[in-house]
Amino acid sequence: MEAFSFGSYYPGDSTIHRLDPRTKLLLGFVFLITTLTVSSFRGLVPVASFVVLIYAVSRVPLRRVLSSMAPLLAIVVVVAVLNLFSDQSGRILWQLGFLQISEGSLHSAAFMACRLTLMMAGMSAITLTTPTLDLTAGFERLLAPFACVGLPAHELGMIMGIALRFMPQFATEMKQTADAQASRGARVTGGPLGGVRMLGSVAIPLFTGVFRHAETLSAAMDARCYHGEQGRTRLHALAFGRGDALAAVVTALLLICVIVINLQLV
Amino acid sequence: MIECRGVSFSYDGVAPALDGIDLNIEEGEFFCILGGNGSGKSTFAKHLNALLQPDAETVCVNGMDASDPELVYDIRSTAGMVFQNPDDQLVATLVEDDVAFGPENLGVESAQIAQRVREALKAVGLVGFERHETHALSGGQKQRVALAGVLAMEPRVLILDEASSMLDPRGRKGLMKACHALHERGMTIVMITHFMEEAAEADRVAVFRAGRVAMLGTPDEILTQADELARLNLDMPASCCLGRALRAKGVPVHAQVREADMVAEVAQAYTERSEAGTAGQSSASQSEIADGAVPADNEDNASEPVIEISHLSYSYSLSARERRRWHKRSAAEGASNKQTLWGNDPSSPWALRDVSLTVCRGEFLGLAGHTGSGKSTLVQHLNGLIRPQEGSVYALGLDLVNKKDAAAVKAKVGVVFQYPERQLFAETVAQDVAFGPHNLGLSQAEVARRVASSLARVGLDLATVGDKSPFELSGGQQRRVAFAGVLAMEPEVLVLDEPMAGLDPAARSDFLGLIDRLHRDGLTVVMVSHSMDDLANCCDRIVVMNEGTVFAEGTPAQVFAYADELKSIGLGVPAAQRMALALARADVPLRLDGLYTVESLADELADLLIGCSDGSSNVSDEAESKTVAREEGC
Repeated sequence: MEAFSFGSYYPGDSTIHRLDPRTKLLLGFVFLITTLTVSSFRGLVPVASFVVLIYAVSRVPLRRVLSSMAPLLAIVVVVAVLNLFSDQSGRILWQLGFLQISEGSLHSAAFMACRLTLMMAGMSAITLTTPTLDLTAGFERLLAPFACVGLPAHELGMIMGIALRFMPQFATEMKQTADAQASRGARVTGGPLGGVRMLGSVAIPLFTGVFRHAETLSAAMDARCYHGEQGRTRLHALAFGRGDALAAVVTALLLICVIVINLQLV
Repeated sequence: MIECRGVSFSYDGVAPALDGIDLNIEEGEFFCILGGNGSGKSTFAKHLNALLQPDAETVCVNGMDASDPELVYDIRSTAGMVFQNPDDQLVATLVEDDVAFGPENLGVESAQIAQRVREALKAVGLVGFERHETHALSGGQKQRVALAGVLAMEPRVLILDEASSMLDPRGRKGLMKACHALHERGMTIVMITHFMEEAAEADRVAVFRAGRVAMLGTPDEILTQADELARLNLDMPASCCLGRALRAKGVPVHAQVREADMVAEVAQAYTERSEAGTAGQSSASQSEIADGAVPADNEDNASEPVIEISHLSYSYSLSARERRRWHKRSAAEGASNKQTLWGNDPSSPWALRDVSLTVCRGEFLGLAGHTGSGKSTLVQHLNGLIRPQEGSVYALGLDLVNKKDAAAVKAKVGVVFQYPERQLFAETVAQDVAFGPHNLGLSQAEVARRVASSLARVGLDLATVGDKSPFELSGGQQRRVAFAGVLAMEPEVLVLDEPMAGLDPAARSDFLGLIDRLHRDGLTVVMVSHSMDDLANCCDRIVVMNEGTVFAEGTPAQVFAYADELKSIGLGVPAAQRMALALARADVPLRLDGLYTVESLADELADLLIGCSDGSSNVSDEAESKTVAREEGC
């Protein structure tokens, strides 16, 4: 059984790993906005150096980074292809019926692909260096101010944490069920109707599994005195440190670089 | 510590799950609860930490009334509970976060939580695992994390609800070791189990039936009552079976519930005999019995292999190019030390390494090995779910490297995976069983015929269960339906991956009987199991896997002769063989091959102790003694 690796945590003890999860989430948000505002290849240079810097400091192996991003690359490809055929300008390079590729669309497809890849690489850095429970705790705390308008911040955090914890579990179970049904002659490729039947024979066992797990998990959480947020303490109380300040400064620098380049001041 | 007076409970208000339970569990006691599936043991356990409230009367934990809503969290932190399934009771991604979950809920200070986490992990032997991911641990390790999570709440009572039932022998041993260490430090332990060997170690045992306490007493009082236990869907520990078998042959020994005591008693009896000069000789019949230990029917069929695996290697992580590089490197390191190099490297990227194996028509092959030894990967090769990366697999003359052949062989080699009832999905039992034949593209009439016949082969009746939803059936029946679903493909070879996992002793022997019947009807059977007793009772031949290689292969007698080697890779030997070895160490002159069933050991000992000569006739008919042993469930 190979471990399921999308977005999952890579244990380590680097400065990036030790950052407060709230810092990572907030700065991740800033990074996302910054990257979205970039309008030229030149603007991507500081973004790329920022991403490289993060991974260099975090010491996550390149292989692991790539394998965690691999499932997302499909999105990059789709977006790039859409751009390739839509955003036309400049000399036309190739044409077939209504499909055409021009210099402008080629440029914008390449740009979009690079920008999206960098965005995903930056966001993967968060999930690769933060255990899910910390991530959900950070998420919960950031949402806490909204609790006064009725947002169940703690519950949302808990739901997210458990969902992430059970993701590899369900991936394994789904594989097992698919194997078992394949042993009974189910074909993975059997036309659209066959596909739907295959889905049923795998999805139903998966759902019954989800309910079974939910039942025991809730009993197990009950048995360990879980009763919501009230009076709960934490093993690692969240606290901002020097690293967090440093990270904020570095991200701010990135933002400034991008703004300067966007305004074509250099 | 725990007082229950007339506790009754019902889930639906009609059928009582608990019916007037009176039990007192003392402080510092190791208390064991036995019972078949559906006897109310788990329901009872949930009353001890206020997960359920009794309908009538009270449960008192450490002087606190469990039905008082004010005290719920005090009770739950006093009586901690570990559940059955290692996969769904851990909350967090990281070990330390999971262990901290309880104290966090109790509002303990951060610094103190860290201290408790450290101590709890130390108590279960998982120091250094703090930052490990929970889903990547083995089942046994997960259960110990769950145990640590309970310990971190600093409970006074520990409740284990079949916590060891889904673990392999190594995992079970680790969990039991941790529990006994805690008990020695004064922890009260309430353990619910199916394993008689575990119950034998307890201070007191209660047997549940239909929501009542049917028997209560010390292990010596309870576990020796064979007839009573059989009526309650349980069996005796192997040592008791031996004791009774010896008594039946006229050897004056008592049935002891602990193996060590039984061994000591038999050794004592032997010493007395030999001093009196009346001890029998076993060496006379030795050569004859040794021949008899090789199953005779093996040779008739050995000529026709149905599955041939040669030099099969498989890696989940290496690409084809990396595999080639690996070979080049290891060739450079010298071909001579290859085996040890691969055999002992835990970080080896190989799931299977140079495995050669033949399954012959009509045989009953056992496949043993602990979790991670490559058994599951091997099973997936047998019917082409995984196609070989290196080496070859031929099943029924088809080369499984070939994609088309790999698809064709699925109908001929049926695989029943672990917990097959979890893969049921259709609206009715009949539809579920029909899934396989349907996929084969058979005619309606043929599909209907196969559904009826395969249900009949597993002992179910189409007319009564056919239109029911599979989810309405009991656990054991669901598993039968899943078996039928594979049998409906009319395979020539049946591969079973842990077919008895999670069943109570009665259901276990039912299923062993069922599998044995299928085998006698002409199916070739490959059974994966880590219960050496089950393998000893049914298999013609056993293959032991370790770290992706074949560790040992041969008849049960040949394989179990390597007891120490098996122990070193985390596997046991059958209880009878274990006792035989212990007796040999106590200077009882036993020959050690072929004594892997209680029957054969009893015969041999009877020869020695009273010198009667009917032993040889019993052992010579191997098949019969096997069947007898199985029917007794020993």
